Amino acid sequence: MRTELSGYRIMWMMVMFDLPVVTSKERKAAGIFRKHLQNLGFEMAQFSIYYRVMGSKEIAKRYLKQIEEKVPKDGSVNILTITDKQYENMVCFTGREKVKPPEVLQLSLF
Amino acid sequence: MIDGIVEIAEDGRYLSVYRGFLVVADKEITLGRVPLADISALILSANQASLSKNLMVALAEQSTAVICCGKNYLPTSIALPYSGNYESGHRVRSQINASRPLCKQLWRRLVQEKIRNQGEVLSWLDIGESSRSVAAMERRVRSGDPDNLEAQAAKRYWRVAVRPGFVRDRFAEDENLLFNYIYTVLRAAVARAVVGAGLLPALGVHHRGRLNPFSLVDDLMEPYRPLADSVVLELCSEAEPVELTPKTKRRLASVLRLDLKMEKGRSPLCEVLHTLAYSLVQSYEDHAVHLRFGEMLLP
Repeated sequence: MRTELSGYRIMWMMVMFDLPVVTSKERKAAGIFRKHLQNLGFEMAQFSIYYRVMGSKEIAKRYLKQIEEKVPKDGSVNILTITDKQYENMVCFTGREKVKPPEVLQLSLF
Repeated sequence: MIDGIVEIAEDGRYLSVYRGFLVVADKEITLGRVPLADISALILSANQASLSKNLMVALAEQSTAVICCGKNYLPTSIALPYSGNYESGHRVRSQINASRPLCKQLWRRLVQEKIRNQGEVLSWLDIGESSRSVAAMERRVRSGDPDNLEAQAAKRYWRVAVRPGFVRDRFAEDENLLFNYIYTVLRAAVARAVVGAGLLPALGVHHRGRLNPFSLVDDLMEPYRPLADSVVLELCSEAEPVELTPKTKRRLASVLRLDLKMEKGRSPLCEVLHTLAYSLVQSYEDHAVHLRFGEMLLP
Protein backbone atom coordinates (compact mmCIF):
# COMPACT_ATOMS: atom_id res chain seq x y z
CA MET A 1 0.00 0.00 0.00
CA ARG A 2 1.30 3.40 -0.93
CA THR A 3 1.70 5.83 1.94
CA GLU A 4 -0.27 8.93 1.34
CA LEU A 5 0.21 11.04 4.47
CA SER A 6 3.89 10.93 5.32
CA GLY A 7 4.63 11.28 9.01
CA TYR A 8 7.86 13.04 8.13
CA ARG A 9 6.22 15.65 5.97
CA ILE A 10 3.23 16.49 8.14
CA MET A 11 4.00 19.04 10.84
CA TRP A 12 2.33 19.94 14.09
CA MET A 13 2.54 23.43 15.45
CA MET A 14 2.09 24.09 19.16
CA VAL A 15 1.55 27.65 20.31
CA MET A 16 2.11 28.14 24.02
CA PHE A 17 1.57 31.50 25.57
CA ASP A 18 1.62 33.32 28.83
CA LEU A 19 -0.18 36.62 28.53
CA PRO A 20 -0.89 39.10 31.31
CA VAL A 21 -4.60 39.40 32.12
CA VAL A 22 -4.59 41.88 34.99
CA THR A 23 -6.01 44.99 33.35
CA SER A 24 -9.01 44.91 31.01
CA LYS A 25 -6.78 46.10 28.17
CA GLU A 26 -4.48 43.12 28.66
CA ARG A 27 -7.41 40.73 28.83
CA LYS A 28 -8.72 42.12 25.58
CA ALA A 29 -5.34 41.74 23.88
CA ALA A 30 -5.09 38.13 25.08
CA GLY A 31 -8.62 37.42 23.85
CA ILE A 32 -7.88 38.84 20.40
CA PHE A 33 -4.77 36.67 20.14
CA ARG A 34 -6.69 33.54 21.13
CA LYS A 35 -9.43 34.26 18.61
CA HIS A 36 -6.83 34.86 15.94
CA LEU A 37 -5.43 31.38 16.59
CA GLN A 38 -8.93 29.90 16.31
CA ASN A 39 -9.56 31.75 13.06
CA LEU A 40 -6.41 30.14 11.72
CA GLY A 41 -7.79 26.72 12.64
CA PHE A 42 -5.88 26.11 15.86
CA GLU A 43 -7.54 23.90 18.45
CA MET A 44 -7.12 24.29 22.18
CA ALA A 45 -5.08 21.49 23.78
CA GLN A 46 -5.09 23.09 27.19
CA PHE A 47 -5.58 26.63 28.45
CA SER A 48 -2.90 28.72 26.73
CA ILE A 49 -1.76 25.85 24.51
CA TYR A 50 -3.10 25.61 20.96
CA TYR A 51 -2.16 23.16 18.26
CA ARG A 52 -2.69 22.61 14.57
CA VAL A 53 -1.63 20.05 12.00
CA MET A 54 -0.16 21.20 8.68
CA GLY A 55 0.67 19.55 5.38
CA SER A 56 4.30 20.56 5.14
CA LYS A 57 7.15 22.70 6.47
CA GLU A 58 6.42 25.39 3.91
CA ILE A 59 2.84 25.71 5.08
CA ALA A 60 4.04 25.82 8.70
CA LYS A 61 6.23 28.77 7.79
CA ARG A 62 3.22 30.63 6.40
CA TYR A 63 1.25 30.11 9.59
CA LEU A 64 4.21 31.16 11.70
CA LYS A 65 4.24 34.49 9.89
CA GLN A 66 0.50 34.95 10.35
CA ILE A 67 0.82 34.34 14.08
CA GLU A 68 3.82 36.61 14.41
CA GLU A 69 1.81 39.51 13.02
CA LYS A 70 -0.67 39.34 15.88
CA VAL A 71 1.54 38.56 18.87
CA PRO A 72 0.49 40.88 21.74
CA LYS A 73 2.86 43.55 23.02
CA ASP A 74 3.30 42.04 26.48
CA GLY A 75 3.71 38.47 27.62
CA SER A 76 5.50 35.56 26.01
CA VAL A 77 4.53 33.28 23.14
CA ASN A 78 6.45 30.08 22.35
CA ILE A 79 5.89 28.27 19.10
CA LEU A 80 7.13 24.74 18.53
CA THR A 81 6.88 22.89 15.22
CA ILE A 82 7.52 19.15 15.10
CA THR A 83 6.92 16.33 12.63
CA ASP A 84 3.97 13.96 12.90
CA LYS A 85 6.44 11.17 13.75
CA GLN A 86 7.63 13.09 16.80
CA TYR A 87 4.09 14.06 17.71
CA GLU A 88 3.11 10.39 17.70
CA ASN A 89 5.38 9.83 20.71
CA MET A 90 3.27 12.06 22.89
CA VAL A 91 1.71 10.26 25.82
CA CYS A 92 -1.66 11.69 26.80
CA PHE A 93 -3.60 11.15 30.00
CA THR A 94 -7.14 12.20 30.74
CA GLY A 95 -7.71 11.54 34.40
CA ARG A 96 -5.71 8.34 34.86
CA GLU A 97 -6.71 6.96 31.51
CA LYS A 98 -4.35 6.90 28.57
CA VAL A 99 -5.85 8.33 25.38
CA LYS A 100 -4.51 8.42 21.85
CA PRO A 101 -3.40 11.75 20.39
CA PRO A 102 -5.58 12.94 17.50
CA GLU A 103 -4.89 11.29 14.16
CA VAL A 104 -4.34 12.92 10.78
CA LEU A 105 -6.93 11.82 8.26
CA GLN A 106 -7.42 12.50 4.60
CA LEU A 107 -11.15 11.96 4.76
CA SER A 108 -13.50 13.02 7.52
CA LEU A 109 -16.83 11.24 7.41
CA PHE A 110 -19.83 12.52 9.28
CA MET B 1 -3.08 22.46 4.57
CA ILE B 2 -3.95 18.81 4.40
CA ASP B 3 -6.25 19.03 1.37
CA GLY B 4 -8.70 16.77 3.06
CA ILE B 5 -12.13 15.72 1.93
CA VAL B 6 -15.12 16.04 4.20
CA GLU B 7 -18.04 13.84 3.33
CA ILE B 8 -21.47 14.12 4.89
CA ALA B 9 -22.77 10.57 4.57
CA GLU B 10 -25.45 10.38 7.26
CA ASP B 11 -28.82 12.11 7.28
CA GLY B 12 -29.69 14.89 9.69
CA ARG B 13 -26.33 16.59 9.97
CA TYR B 14 -26.18 20.32 10.59
CA LEU B 15 -23.13 22.18 9.28
CA SER B 16 -22.01 25.58 10.49
CA VAL B 17 -18.97 27.78 10.94
CA TYR B 18 -17.20 28.58 14.17
CA ARG B 19 -14.20 30.86 13.72
CA GLY B 20 -11.81 28.99 11.39
CA PHE B 21 -13.71 25.71 11.58
CA LEU B 22 -16.44 23.77 9.87
CA VAL B 23 -18.57 22.31 12.66
CA VAL B 24 -20.67 19.21 12.06
CA ALA B 25 -23.48 18.55 14.50
CA ASP B 26 -26.27 16.04 14.92
CA LYS B 27 -29.10 17.94 16.60
CA GLU B 28 -27.39 19.54 19.62
CA ILE B 29 -24.37 17.25 19.73
CA THR B 30 -21.20 18.40 18.00
CA LEU B 31 -19.66 15.49 16.15
CA GLY B 32 -16.47 17.18 15.13
CA ARG B 33 -14.83 20.13 13.50
CA VAL B 34 -12.35 20.57 10.71
CA PRO B 35 -10.23 23.66 9.98
CA LEU B 36 -11.74 25.35 6.90
CA ALA B 37 -8.36 25.91 5.28
CA ASP B 38 -7.67 22.16 5.31
CA ILE B 39 -10.75 21.18 3.29
CA SER B 40 -10.30 20.85 -0.42
CA ALA B 41 -13.81 19.54 -1.02
CA LEU B 42 -17.03 19.07 0.87
CA ILE B 43 -19.01 16.15 -0.51
CA LEU B 44 -22.68 15.93 0.36
CA SER B 45 -23.78 12.37 -0.26
CA ALA B 46 -26.44 12.00 2.44
CA ASN B 47 -30.04 12.59 1.40
CA GLN B 48 -30.52 15.34 3.88
CA ALA B 49 -28.10 17.83 5.40
CA SER B 50 -28.48 21.46 6.37
CA LEU B 51 -25.82 24.07 5.99
CA SER B 52 -25.67 27.76 6.67
CA LYS B 53 -25.02 30.49 4.16
CA ASN B 54 -22.12 31.56 6.35
CA LEU B 55 -20.54 28.20 5.71
CA MET B 56 -20.95 28.50 1.94
CA VAL B 57 -19.28 31.93 2.09
CA ALA B 58 -16.43 30.69 4.28
CA LEU B 59 -15.81 27.72 1.97
CA ALA B 60 -15.87 29.95 -1.10
CA GLU B 61 -13.21 32.13 0.49
CA GLN B 62 -10.94 29.08 0.60
CA SER B 63 -11.93 28.15 -2.96
CA THR B 64 -13.30 24.87 -1.66
CA ALA B 65 -15.62 22.90 -3.91
CA VAL B 66 -18.98 21.82 -2.50
CA ILE B 67 -20.32 18.78 -4.31
CA CYS B 68 -23.81 17.34 -4.21
CA CYS B 69 -23.93 13.67 -5.10
CA GLY B 70 -26.79 11.99 -6.83
CA LYS B 71 -27.14 8.25 -7.06
CA ASN B 72 -24.01 6.12 -7.10
CA TYR B 73 -21.76 8.97 -6.07
CA LEU B 74 -22.13 10.77 -9.35
CA PRO B 75 -21.78 14.51 -8.82
CA THR B 76 -24.88 16.44 -9.84
CA SER B 77 -23.73 19.90 -8.83
CA ILE B 78 -20.52 21.64 -7.85
CA ALA B 79 -20.53 24.97 -6.07
CA LEU B 80 -17.40 26.99 -6.72
CA PRO B 81 -16.46 30.54 -5.71
CA TYR B 82 -17.31 33.25 -8.18
CA SER B 83 -13.81 34.59 -8.27
CA GLY B 84 -10.89 33.00 -6.53
CA ASN B 85 -8.09 34.99 -8.02
CA TYR B 86 -7.14 38.65 -8.14
CA GLU B 87 -6.06 38.35 -11.76
CA SER B 88 -9.09 36.40 -12.85
CA GLY B 89 -10.49 39.07 -15.21
CA HIS B 90 -7.28 39.12 -17.21
CA ARG B 91 -6.95 35.35 -17.15
CA VAL B 92 -10.50 34.69 -18.22
CA ARG B 93 -9.98 37.01 -21.17
CA SER B 94 -6.86 35.15 -22.28
CA GLN B 95 -8.81 31.93 -21.85
CA ILE B 96 -11.66 33.17 -24.03
CA ASN B 97 -9.24 34.48 -26.64
CA ALA B 98 -7.38 31.19 -26.90
CA SER B 99 -7.32 30.14 -30.54
CA ARG B 100 -8.86 26.92 -31.82
CA PRO B 101 -5.45 25.53 -32.88
CA LEU B 102 -4.06 26.17 -29.39
CA CYS B 103 -7.01 24.39 -27.77
CA LYS B 104 -6.50 21.46 -30.11
CA GLN B 105 -2.83 21.28 -29.23
CA LEU B 106 -3.68 21.40 -25.54
CA TRP B 107 -6.20 18.60 -25.95
CA ARG B 108 -3.61 16.58 -27.82
CA ARG B 109 -1.19 16.84 -24.89
CA LEU B 110 -3.91 15.91 -22.40
CA VAL B 111 -4.89 12.84 -24.42
CA GLN B 112 -1.28 11.80 -24.91
CA GLU B 113 -0.64 12.02 -21.21
CA LYS B 114 -3.77 10.06 -20.40
CA ILE B 115 -2.92 7.28 -22.85
CA ARG B 116 0.66 7.14 -21.60
CA ASN B 117 -0.58 6.76 -18.03
CA GLN B 118 -3.06 4.09 -19.07
CA GLY B 119 -0.18 2.18 -20.65
CA GLU B 120 1.81 2.57 -17.43
CA VAL B 121 -1.05 1.17 -15.38
CA LEU B 122 -1.38 -1.83 -17.70
CA SER B 123 2.32 -2.58 -17.58
CA TRP B 124 2.19 -2.24 -13.78
CA LEU B 125 -0.62 -4.81 -13.82
CA ASP B 126 1.71 -6.91 -15.97
CA ILE B 127 -0.59 -7.00 -18.98
CA GLY B 128 2.34 -6.79 -21.38
CA GLU B 129 0.84 -6.95 -24.84
CA SER B 130 -2.08 -4.62 -24.20
CA SER B 131 0.12 -2.14 -22.42
CA ARG B 132 2.36 -1.91 -25.47
CA SER B 133 -0.52 -1.54 -27.87
CA VAL B 134 -2.13 1.16 -25.74
CA ALA B 135 1.15 2.99 -25.17
CA ALA B 136 1.86 2.92 -28.91
CA MET B 137 -1.30 4.95 -29.50
CA GLU B 138 0.20 7.87 -27.64
CA ARG B 139 2.46 8.75 -30.57
CA ARG B 140 -0.39 8.69 -33.06
CA VAL B 141 -2.46 11.35 -31.33
CA ARG B 142 -2.79 14.34 -33.64
CA SER B 143 -3.80 17.88 -32.86
CA GLY B 144 -7.36 17.89 -31.51
CA ASP B 145 -7.38 14.07 -31.58
CA PRO B 146 -9.48 13.78 -34.77
CA ASP B 147 -9.06 9.99 -34.81
CA ASN B 148 -10.50 9.82 -31.31
CA LEU B 149 -7.62 7.73 -30.04
CA GLU B 150 -8.72 8.67 -26.55
CA ALA B 151 -11.80 6.49 -26.91
CA GLN B 152 -9.93 3.73 -28.73
CA ALA B 153 -7.30 3.53 -26.01
CA ALA B 154 -9.96 3.62 -23.29
CA LYS B 155 -11.81 0.75 -24.95
CA ARG B 156 -8.72 -1.47 -24.96
CA TYR B 157 -7.73 -0.34 -21.51
CA TRP B 158 -11.04 -1.09 -19.79
CA ARG B 159 -11.29 -4.46 -21.53
CA VAL B 160 -8.27 -5.74 -19.61
CA ALA B 161 -7.60 -3.46 -16.65
CA VAL B 162 -10.12 -4.55 -14.02
CA ARG B 163 -11.23 -8.14 -14.66
CA PRO B 164 -12.69 -10.10 -17.55
CA GLY B 165 -16.27 -9.06 -18.11
CA PHE B 166 -15.95 -5.69 -16.41
CA VAL B 167 -17.71 -2.80 -18.10
CA ARG B 168 -17.25 0.79 -17.04
CA ASP B 169 -20.83 1.81 -16.41
CA ARG B 170 -21.50 4.76 -14.18
CA PHE B 171 -24.78 3.37 -12.96
CA ALA B 172 -23.65 -0.17 -12.12
CA GLU B 173 -23.40 -1.23 -8.49
CA ASP B 174 -20.11 -3.17 -8.62
CA GLU B 175 -16.52 -1.85 -8.71
CA ASN B 176 -17.96 1.03 -10.70
CA LEU B 177 -19.05 2.58 -7.40
CA LEU B 178 -15.40 2.81 -6.38
CA PHE B 179 -14.48 4.44 -9.68
CA ASN B 180 -17.37 6.92 -9.32
CA TYR B 181 -16.26 7.83 -5.84
CA ILE B 182 -12.60 8.36 -6.63
CA TYR B 183 -13.41 10.37 -9.78
CA THR B 184 -15.72 12.59 -7.71
CA VAL B 185 -12.85 13.27 -5.31
CA LEU B 186 -10.49 13.92 -8.21
CA ARG B 187 -12.97 16.18 -9.98
CA ALA B 188 -13.41 18.25 -6.83
CA ALA B 189 -9.66 18.75 -6.46
CA VAL B 190 -9.26 19.72 -10.12
CA ALA B 191 -12.20 22.14 -9.82
CA ARG B 192 -10.51 23.81 -6.88
CA ALA B 193 -7.24 24.15 -8.79
CA VAL B 194 -9.01 25.60 -11.84
CA VAL B 195 -10.84 28.22 -9.80
CA GLY B 196 -7.71 28.94 -7.74
CA ALA B 197 -5.87 29.75 -10.95
CA GLY B 198 -8.58 32.26 -11.90
CA LEU B 199 -9.91 30.27 -14.84
CA LEU B 200 -13.49 29.73 -15.94
CA PRO B 201 -14.42 26.08 -15.35
CA ALA B 202 -17.17 26.21 -17.96
CA LEU B 203 -14.82 26.94 -20.84
CA GLY B 204 -13.07 23.73 -21.76
CA VAL B 205 -10.33 23.08 -24.28
CA HIS B 206 -12.10 20.05 -25.70
CA HIS B 207 -15.23 19.13 -23.75
CA ARG B 208 -17.76 21.60 -25.04
CA GLY B 209 -20.99 20.09 -23.89
CA ARG B 210 -23.51 22.88 -23.73
CA LEU B 211 -24.88 21.47 -20.53
CA ASN B 212 -21.57 20.86 -18.82
CA PRO B 213 -20.53 23.82 -16.68
CA PHE B 214 -17.29 22.05 -15.74
CA SER B 215 -15.84 21.26 -19.13
CA LEU B 216 -12.38 22.51 -18.24
CA VAL B 217 -12.37 20.44 -15.06
CA ASP B 218 -13.22 17.33 -17.07
CA ASP B 219 -10.48 18.13 -19.59
CA LEU B 220 -7.77 18.57 -17.00
CA MET B 221 -8.65 15.51 -14.94
CA GLU B 222 -8.23 13.09 -17.86
CA PRO B 223 -4.49 12.42 -17.42
CA TYR B 224 -4.98 11.57 -13.75
CA ARG B 225 -7.80 9.08 -14.17
CA PRO B 226 -5.33 6.19 -14.61
CA LEU B 227 -3.63 7.16 -11.34
CA ALA B 228 -7.01 7.05 -9.62
CA ASP B 229 -7.71 3.71 -11.32
CA SER B 230 -4.49 2.31 -9.90
CA VAL B 231 -5.75 3.03 -6.37
CA VAL B 232 -9.01 1.19 -7.09
CA LEU B 233 -7.17 -1.71 -8.71
CA GLU B 234 -4.79 -1.96 -5.78
CA LEU B 235 -7.78 -2.16 -3.45
CA CYS B 236 -9.47 -4.82 -5.57
CA SER B 237 -6.34 -6.96 -5.58
CA GLU B 238 -6.22 -6.96 -1.78
CA ALA B 239 -9.74 -7.98 -0.90
CA GLU B 240 -12.78 -9.51 -2.56
CA PRO B 241 -15.43 -8.32 -2.81
CA VAL B 242 -14.68 -4.65 -2.32
CA GLU B 243 -17.44 -2.56 -0.83
CA LEU B 244 -17.66 1.15 -0.34
CA THR B 245 -17.07 1.18 3.43
CA PRO B 246 -15.68 4.19 5.32
CA LYS B 247 -12.29 2.46 5.29
CA THR B 248 -12.39 2.01 1.52
CA LYS B 249 -13.46 5.62 1.09
CA ARG B 250 -10.44 6.77 3.09
CA ARG B 251 -8.14 4.82 0.80
CA LEU B 252 -9.85 6.24 -2.27
CA ALA B 253 -9.71 9.82 -0.99
CA SER B 254 -6.00 9.35 -0.31
CA VAL B 255 -5.37 9.60 -4.05
CA LEU B 256 -4.90 13.35 -3.59
CA ARG B 257 -1.86 12.77 -1.39
CA LEU B 258 -0.09 10.40 -3.76
CA ASP B 259 3.25 11.72 -4.96
CA LEU B 260 4.09 12.47 -8.56
CA LYS B 261 7.55 13.09 -9.92
CA MET B 262 8.08 16.71 -10.88
CA GLU B 263 11.17 18.44 -12.28
CA LYS B 264 12.13 19.41 -8.75
CA GLY B 265 11.51 16.33 -6.63
CA ARG B 266 8.18 14.82 -5.65
CA SER B 267 4.93 16.55 -4.97
CA PRO B 268 1.49 15.27 -3.94
CA LEU B 269 -1.27 15.24 -6.55
CA CYS B 270 -3.30 17.98 -4.83
CA GLU B 271 -0.37 20.36 -5.34
CA VAL B 272 0.50 19.10 -8.82
CA LEU B 273 -3.04 20.03 -9.90
CA HIS B 274 -2.35 23.66 -9.01
CA THR B 275 0.87 23.52 -11.03
CA LEU B 276 -1.08 22.11 -13.97
CA ALA B 277 -3.73 24.83 -13.75
CA TYR B 278 -1.08 27.56 -13.69
CA SER B 279 0.75 25.96 -16.59
CA LEU B 280 -2.52 26.20 -18.52
CA VAL B 281 -2.74 29.90 -17.68
CA GLN B 282 0.81 30.30 -19.04
CA SER B 283 -0.16 28.41 -22.16
CA TYR B 284 -3.10 30.75 -22.78
CA GLU B 285 -0.97 33.82 -22.25
CA ASP B 286 1.97 32.65 -24.39
CA HIS B 287 -0.18 31.01 -27.08
CA ALA B 288 1.94 27.86 -26.77
CA VAL B 289 1.55 24.57 -24.90
CA HIS B 290 3.40 24.57 -21.57
CA LEU B 291 1.39 21.97 -19.68
CA ARG B 292 3.13 20.36 -16.73
CA PHE B 293 1.67 17.09 -15.49
CA GLY B 294 4.20 15.33 -13.26
CA GLU B 295 5.06 11.68 -13.72
CA MET B 296 2.94 9.01 -12.13
CA LEU B 297 4.72 6.75 -9.61
CA LEU B 298 3.17 3.32 -9.32
CA PRO B 299 4.04 0.99 -6.43
